[in-house]
Amino acid sequence: MRASTRRGYRKIIEADLEIMPLMNLFVAMIPMLLISAVFLNVTVIDMKAPPEASDAGDGNKKEGLALAVTIRDAHFVVEGRRLAKRVIARADADADAQLALALADVVAQHPDNEDVIIISQPHTSYGDIIAVMDISREAGLPSVSLLGAE
Amino acid sequence: MRRKRSRGVTIRSVHTPLRLTSMMDILTVLLLFLLKSFVVEGEVMVPVAGVDLPESSSNTAPRASIVIAIFDDTVMMDGESVASVSAAVASSNLIIEPLAARLQAAREKVTEIARRRGSEAEFEGNVSIQGDRAIDFAILQRVMYTCSVSGYEHISLAVIGTS
Repeated sequence: MRASTRRGYRKIIEADLEIMPLMNLFVAMIPMLLISAVFLNVTVIDMKAPPEASDAGDGNKKEGLALAVTIRDAHFVVEGRRLAKRVIARADADADAQLALALADVVAQHPDNEDVIIISQPHTSYGDIIAVMDISREAGLPSVSLLGAE
Repeated sequence: MRRKRSRGVTIRSVHTPLRLTSMMDILTVLLLFLLKSFVVEGEVMVPVAGVDLPESSSNTAPRASIVIAIFDDTVMMDGESVASVSAAVASSNLIIEPLAARLQAAREKVTEIARRRGSEAEFEGNVSIQGDRAIDFAILQRVMYTCSVSGYEHISLAVIGTS
């Protein structure tokens, strides 16, 4: 191909972009990243030890609100010292939202309290417990401990 | 360039460079995706096969710890089956003896290694529980109680982060 200039003709050379070094870099990086890739984001929820283990020494500390959410087969029960007991039917479509609202009310009334005890039945499923923990944490109660119902 | 075949047919040999543009596109997208999922901080925890972890909005990164997996009828510690769920739940005792023995052995091992290295690092007592979403609270309570009694005070529950 030729293009004319003022001086005359100049030869234009067509040159391909040299992408082989880039390809080499990609080919080296992709296996490395594939090996170390994390496709499932596993996180953790930090727990307190079950209160049974340290009940004796905790007597004074528990003079606070002692906010507890009990997971029954058909209901969530939110109760505590100086708190009106609230019972939420789990069959309701918005049971989770109602529980979140109830806990948010408690947090609004007692902003210094960050503790909540989740009381479960022996047959309560782990998935349900984690769901209630999530609701509590999002309502502003990050310090969760688990307790078994008598 | 022209070349003549024996029968008299002329064929033209054309220089065609390998087209790498589309491959480069794929590699670039793949590279960006993998870079995005690349984790450089903290500990990476891999779920034990067979455990269907529940989802949670928690975004706390896992710590280096002993992993106890609970699923179906098995309680596993660091990849080895140590106890049966049905036997543990049937017992009125909250402590699962085989698990307690294994936890104690692991604790002694860590303390011994620290002693030989001459480091005064304190035993941290970290344990992560990977529980299947279908397990009952009864077994979770027993495992947590056993950990607590064995000196493992920092218990975390492994979940799949959704945030």
